[in-house]
Amino acid sequence: MAVNLFWYGCNMTRHGEIIRLSARFLEALGVPARPVGGPSACCGSPKEDTPRIAEGMANRTMARFNGSGAERVITWCPSCHGNIEDFMAPTQGARFGHAHLAEAIHEQREALRPLLTHRVPARVFIDRHAGFQERAPVNTLIAELLAMIPGVEVVEHPHRAPSYMCFALANLPGALAANQRATLDAMAETGADTLVTIFHSCHREMVGLEKTHPIRVLNWIHLLAEGAGWSYADAYKTWRNSDDPLAAIGAERVAAAGEEAVRKLVEPELTRARLV
Amino acid sequence: MGPGERVVEDWSSLRTTERARMTEACTRCGACFAACPMTAHAPATAGADAAATVAGVLGILAGGAGDAAARAWVMACGRTGSCNAACPHGVNPMLLMRLAKFEGQENGTLPKRGAADAMSRVKAFARLTLTEEEQRSWL
Repeated sequence: MAVNLFWYGCNMTRHGEIIRLSARFLEALGVPARPVGGPSACCGSPKEDTPRIAEGMANRTMARFNGSGAERVITWCPSCHGNIEDFMAPTQGARFGHAHLAEAIHEQREALRPLLTHRVPARVFIDRHAGFQERAPVNTLIAELLAMIPGVEVVEHPHRAPSYMCFALANLPGALAANQRATLDAMAETGADTLVTIFHSCHREMVGLEKTHPIRVLNWIHLLAEGAGWSYADAYKTWRNSDDPLAAIGAERVAAAGEEAVRKLVEPELTRARLV
Repeated sequence: MGPGERVVEDWSSLRTTERARMTEACTRCGACFAACPMTAHAPATAGADAAATVAGVLGILAGGAGDAAARAWVMACGRTGSCNAACPHGVNPMLLMRLAKFEGQENGTLPKRGAADAMSRVKAFARLTLTEEEQRSWL
């Protein structure tokens, strides 16, 4: 039997619980999808400064997807989603349809509604970006989904973060800080107490604000899970906002993941400077 | 395009086809540059002439060096799509910027991203956040 794939991308490995919760929602809504991602299912984006390598990675992923018998690939990452449309499908042919997770869940919103029984008092500002909305209307669909949660009020504000996700701001001096300041200003203006991120790169940049500002930061999937009464732990946020991230991860877990790799690759990210 | 059908043979063909189409379609009106919110984060674009900057990007797309404003603008592109909405000629400037970046990074006109550790970091986080079974099944 053909099964959908939930293509979570590569950098989502920082947020295992979001992958789990997303798959759980798809299952509960009658559109089960097997999670797939990481280096072996890459769209090529991390290597696109050498297009020949990016193309090879993308072609391998397309061969895997085309050979899977999947009817539909449900995306998470806007880079992956864009690359399917701009490069992968035109050059390899796609024997599957594709949609963003927000679209796949929104299609099943009447099945979602009875799951959202837990009250979550929150005045929510959504970290909306310019760019991806034209491919998949996530800014609109996610607002509609979150508004279905008892107790949630989604505020409206014209601010749209420049760039399709925060990743694209991170390498431009001052850009990420400027966006975080604008976001906090917009939250103050609208009286929002909760910042909801849409994409993974935004989540990892924004969670640090929770330590230094009187707001809560969570991803849209986290908030849906709370509305459904499903427990989860945002480990990345805990680690990022800890005074000693490695201690927060735990010695046993660090050792199992390889201490040298964790110290070299993970710790610098978790301890990077806060911008605002 | 039907299911499973290729439109072009490979990325190189796609780039060649799109480069020709974009170069033909673009009138260098500069509307894309004027609409771009990312220029605020690219100091070298300050005061630049919109039409000249677009011409510079087309120069990079063609394998040239462009000018300082064009190079800075390409590097600052955040795929906001504001350019596509502003373009009156259906050029798809957002893709044009990306293809110009491909060209410039290949020929050394533009700096590379320097993401050598990206996949190693992805794997390290996977070992921290996914169970062994999830790693086997999902990676």
